[in-house]
Amino acid sequence: MNQTSDLLTLRSVSKSYGTVPVLHGVDLSIRDGEFLTVLGPSGSGKTTVLRLIGGLEPLTAGEIRLDGQDISGMPINRRPFNTVFQDYALFPHLTVAGNVGYGLSVRHVPRKEIARRVAQALELVQLGRFAGRFPAQLSGGQRQRVALARALICQPRLVLLDEPLAALDLELRRQMQEFLKSIQREVKTTFLFVTHDQEEAIGMADRICVMQAGHIRQLGSPHELYYRPNCEFVARFFGENNLVAGSLGETRGEFRAIETALGRLVCSVAGQPHLKAAATGARGFATFRPEALRLAGDGDAENRLSGAVADVAFAGSSTVVTITAGGDAAQRLRLRFPSRVEGSALRAGETVALSFAPHEGHLVLA
Amino acid sequence: MIAPPRLSTILLAATTVLVAVLLYSPLFVPIVSSFFPVARGEVDWSSPTVETYVALAGNDEILSALRTTLVVGFCTVVLSVVGGTLLALYYHGRRAGRSALQFIIFLPFLMPPIISGLALLIFFREIGLERSLLTVVIGHTAFVLAIVYRTVLTRLQSMSRTLVEASYDLGATKWQTFWRIILPNLSSAMVGGAILAFALSFDETMITILVTGTQTTLPVRLWAMMRLGFSPDINALVALILMFTVLLCALAARFLVPRQIATQRA
Amino acid sequence: MSSSGLARPAAIRWSPLVTVLAFALPVMFVLAPLAIFLVYSFFSVDQGQIVYAPTLANYVRFFTDPVFLPVFWRTIVLCLSVAAISILLAYPAAYFLTTLRGRWRYALLMLLMVPLLMSYVIKIYAIRSILGLNGFLNKALVGLGILSEPSTLFVFNMNAILLTLTLLLIPFAILPIFLALERIPQVLLRASDDLGASSLQTFLRITLPLSLPGVASAASFVFVLAIGDFLTPQMVGGISGFTFGRILYSQFGTAYNWPFGAALSVALAVVVIVAILLGERFGRNRGASL
Repeated sequence: MNQTSDLLTLRSVSKSYGTVPVLHGVDLSIRDGEFLTVLGPSGSGKTTVLRLIGGLEPLTAGEIRLDGQDISGMPINRRPFNTVFQDYALFPHLTVAGNVGYGLSVRHVPRKEIARRVAQALELVQLGRFAGRFPAQLSGGQRQRVALARALICQPRLVLLDEPLAALDLELRRQMQEFLKSIQREVKTTFLFVTHDQEEAIGMADRICVMQAGHIRQLGSPHELYYRPNCEFVARFFGENNLVAGSLGETRGEFRAIETALGRLVCSVAGQPHLKAAATGARGFATFRPEALRLAGDGDAENRLSGAVADVAFAGSSTVVTITAGGDAAQRLRLRFPSRVEGSALRAGETVALSFAPHEGHLVLA
Repeated sequence: MIAPPRLSTILLAATTVLVAVLLYSPLFVPIVSSFFPVARGEVDWSSPTVETYVALAGNDEILSALRTTLVVGFCTVVLSVVGGTLLALYYHGRRAGRSALQFIIFLPFLMPPIISGLALLIFFREIGLERSLLTVVIGHTAFVLAIVYRTVLTRLQSMSRTLVEASYDLGATKWQTFWRIILPNLSSAMVGGAILAFALSFDETMITILVTGTQTTLPVRLWAMMRLGFSPDINALVALILMFTVLLCALAARFLVPRQIATQRA
Repeated sequence: MSSSGLARPAAIRWSPLVTVLAFALPVMFVLAPLAIFLVYSFFSVDQGQIVYAPTLANYVRFFTDPVFLPVFWRTIVLCLSVAAISILLAYPAAYFLTTLRGRWRYALLMLLMVPLLMSYVIKIYAIRSILGLNGFLNKALVGLGILSEPSTLFVFNMNAILLTLTLLLIPFAILPIFLALERIPQVLLRASDDLGASSLQTFLRITLPLSLPGVASAASFVFVLAIGDFLTPQMVGGISGFTFGRILYSQFGTAYNWPFGAALSVALAVVVIVAILLGERFGRNRGASL
């Protein structure tokens, strides 16, 4: 399917701590040169995946292949991967230069060569002036960049980043996201980035791997995950979404109907044979993004919904309206549209008719 | 703490001054006597002298006891720092047997020295080890080992585990990681432990009295001389030792504190 | 997440030899001597020779002989008094330290700890000369008109031991009390003031209860150090100031009865362990979670 080659492959990798399983037979291929984000709530096993690849933990079962070679038993210090730790793990007794040069120094690279490459690496992360400082004298963002330079200097095949932005405040986190992405483009090294923050994932990743309870739920581009989630978990976890439960109805071309408490809804099943093939009557959900939902016009024959406005929330560039549909307080729909200077005409308590275009709707199986 | 009203502040300060006077008065006796002649409890303030210090330079008995104390202190520091650090490294992150062994290591420190000393005395006799400086060093090491162990273990526990992981991750071998990451991060704890161990060994009297041979340390020599009363040069020695230790502590504090403050600020 | 689980040799792979040493050395030089000591307390002495046959005679003697138990109890009372006086002096001083700001607080604390650096034996000697007939204390009391002539009340008796031990051990009481006081969150005191409590009420109802664990630790420290000391009573106790430590020490000198000395040590150890356990039990800082 893809032209780029696979750098690293996980084959039915499992991990248990004692009798507690945390990973259940995970399969994953990492492409050479990509920025892959592993996204999941805490306890999903995402950090474990990273630690297994890095060699910080032994596998319970399965294998990890690098360029087709099994490296499951390779000791951590021989793996051509480097990690940026969540707490940065900078050596407090070494200067910035000492920290960055450590990986070369333990491999007995000549001093001159180390000095040259350290200067280069610090230039890359824009910390040239700080070479002589100690980690305790740096800000959080600067430490983060030292950790990155230290991981990059050995020219690893794969850089593993374990929630490196978690400790930074929001503004700094945004800057660091852009910075990381630009560095990754510059050095053309494969990045495996672990996070629980889906906005972070969308902003940086070429591909995202969503994990839950020790399983990979979906792997794909941010766009795919956003518009074509393959299960209820991804549909709910990834961004704000509308889900309406029902049972699958007839298929007509690239569309399929679902019978819900709010009436019959028609959604696209283009390019998704498993949705076309699913038995009629199977339980599922219609999903559609808040920005796909709009106030219904007279011409809208399909996917008409009605409900009462529960709340109108101004959120800067957009306005989000919460609607209670079908008289069921638990069935909430969200509607998002660009804000206007004159404000929204909708008022709480008002009854409104809504609809979304069938090609913007999507089905997931329960 | 919120400042109490004036009267209570004055009372508190007065008590503190009283305590300071009580604590310092025994220190001033030898220092004053080292500079002024004392006869029948009267200090002769009119004729200050440094003769006592000159006499000290000629007192071979005391100087050799001082040398012995330093040798014992040095051996004790080396043994306890090496042993305490190894034990701390060994038991760090290891559950099996740790609490039991920790308890054993702490026993000589918790038990009154007379019990530790007597137990060692009988032990040496039973295994046929002649009382000598060796037995003194063993006694001192058993006594101070817990201090070094505790100091180093506390540092190890506060050290982030990811430091070691990061070192391996960057390609270091286990020995490189030990020498270049673990040991440097323990060094100030080891120095602190060593200073404490030396201070305790330097002044240890009760265990030493029980396990020493003919050649002995300064405190025990002083103890033996005390029944007869001291010659003035001993006051000079005590004054010098006190000044030296205060200086050493000030230096140690200066040397050890700045990095900690820098770390805390971060 | 344990480090032993890394996919490479553990931090340092301890050879069996190291494992054996790590267990053997403490066992050999600490546990074995103490165990032999305990066993010794069941032996006896006949004409200067130790008889290696188990007997309870030493313990029977300790409990039945009219000499030992009274000295034992008297020594315990003495050391409890030392602990009590030390705390009465140390508490206000420690409290005063916590009212100071920043560097003054620690400078003064260090100042009160410096006397610990002075040779123990020399301090005993100096205190004896202060307490003696020609000593500073008598001079001061006569000078103030409290005594008409110098008294021998303060030397070579129980009082002398009490005073000397207190002077020697006050720093060990200051430190734990200071640490306990320092840990009390400022917020609590301010909250109490906001609720309209007077300073005395705040002290009695907040500060004092929260600092009691420190007091318990201090008492345990001072008591254990006092009861184990045989140098001070030997030096300033004279003939009347006979303590348990001295009796114990004499079994290994003049009396030459090691097994009986071992039995007395077991009695001492029991008292010390009880004191340490009590200190541990009541020394836990309940305010720590605040």
